[in-house]
Amino acid sequence: MGLKLSLIQVGHLILLISEQIGGAAILLGQIFKRLIPPRFDALEFRKCLFSMGYKSLSIMIATAFVVGVILVIQSFVFVERYGMRSQLGWGAGFVIIRELGPVLLALMFSGRVGAFTTAELGTMTVTEQVDGLRCLAIDPISFLVVPRFLAMIISLASLTLIGNAVALVSASIMGEIMMDVDSHTFWSSLFSMLTAGDIFLSVTKSVLFGAIIAVNSCYFGLSTTGGAPGVGIAVNRTVVSSAVAVFVVDFFSTFVLG
Amino acid sequence: MIDLLDVRVSYSGQEALDGLSLHVSKGALLGVIGPGACGKSTMCRVIAGLVQPDSGEVFVNRCNFRTCSRHELQTMQRNIGVQFQNDALFEHLSVLDNVAYPLTRLTAMAPSEIEGRAMESLATVGLAGFENRLPNRLSGGQRRRVALARACITRPAILICDEPTAGLDPQTSRTILDMIAGIRYQTKSTVVVVSSDVVGLFSISSRIALVWNGKIIEEDSTTVIRQSERAEVQRFLDDARLPFAGWTWD
Repeated sequence: MGLKLSLIQVGHLILLISEQIGGAAILLGQIFKRLIPPRFDALEFRKCLFSMGYKSLSIMIATAFVVGVILVIQSFVFVERYGMRSQLGWGAGFVIIRELGPVLLALMFSGRVGAFTTAELGTMTVTEQVDGLRCLAIDPISFLVVPRFLAMIISLASLTLIGNAVALVSASIMGEIMMDVDSHTFWSSLFSMLTAGDIFLSVTKSVLFGAIIAVNSCYFGLSTTGGAPGVGIAVNRTVVSSAVAVFVVDFFSTFVLG
Repeated sequence: MIDLLDVRVSYSGQEALDGLSLHVSKGALLGVIGPGACGKSTMCRVIAGLVQPDSGEVFVNRCNFRTCSRHELQTMQRNIGVQFQNDALFEHLSVLDNVAYPLTRLTAMAPSEIEGRAMESLATVGLAGFENRLPNRLSGGQRRRVALARACITRPAILICDEPTAGLDPQTSRTILDMIAGIRYQTKSTVVVVSSDVVGLFSISSRIALVWNGKIIEEDSTTVIRQSERAEVQRFLDDARLPFAGWTWD
């Protein structure tokens, strides 16, 4: 009896996940359909870029700064033990640009922008504003989803590049304070080892993460049911599923792109 | 003008409309009554082209929603004004911008002309002077009136009002129904109104339809419906506390 119940629960969970992945995939298809040729609201796109990109700048810079500082504090023991002060810049750059920067900033972005987008679209859905748009023959995908999709990708990619730079600066400052590694040594070790491939990987990851967060947040927002409590549930699902998807995609992109 | 033929709609396996058929003539004002969750709102959404039926045919102005092209459907939708149950006002836009929104999005009219039309529409629903307020600064009745002004600003051929009086006091409810009747008189549009204010609805409608378990079980003039001996009609009208004995509708 207990085993049967567990199997039923597992079955329900699999169906739920399949439904969500399927729904998000269909939404992604609909987005691409409206991108070739581009059919979306340019004014809404500009508004989204401002609210998602520019307004996230301060929190992203603060996060990136702390990431750089913590990285140096954590690596202090190993750098001291193996006498690798001259390689600190390369080590910090490698970790920040290829991994920590894109992933941590994506999680932060998901919490701030993804959750907000789901709440916004979810509220519009349950209060019939989305139906109101459809009644005016305004396509909600072109008007609401595509501008957010593009704005999230561009914003996250730009914020990741800025965040990487900020994290490296903070790591350099902390390296000088804690380990007496002068900034010239730090930056020369970084630039001697840094390749265009590292930057490419970082940007590629942030573009993929931005797309995932955008599709997730819009999908859960537009499929919200059940009034105000439903909006809360949708936001929760967005944050959790985006975090899981970011780690899964991070694994595969690192594996494939090196 | 509007024809629904044997329309079936289900949500997650549960039937919302179960073979509903309806005919609304051009220029008529059809009042729709029925108990909660019987399919009234779904019927409105089908007429507005927001819900695709599982089966059955929907004709609006001779355009078959099932077979028409996307462009034809969009053109038809632009000719249908809908006042939603939840107002569906854009909270970040002022009252004026909310009302003007359909014209801003759908027409190439000059901004001054759009503003003039929006002000005129607001005056029709008695909200002149409220144009700069945000929707969250309005009462429930005022929000409904803004939604009504927005629904009819494009002067649609068909106006659908889904529970425009829900949650309002009897006086405000009657005022809104009278406004709907006034708009229909001015614009000569075909109007479908779903409302729980049965007495108010009887006073403005040319015909009444009773929806029951996803079907229209009675649809006729107000006089005939009043005298119907069908058990469901009697039960519903009794529940709605209509004083039949000696009651005059004038």
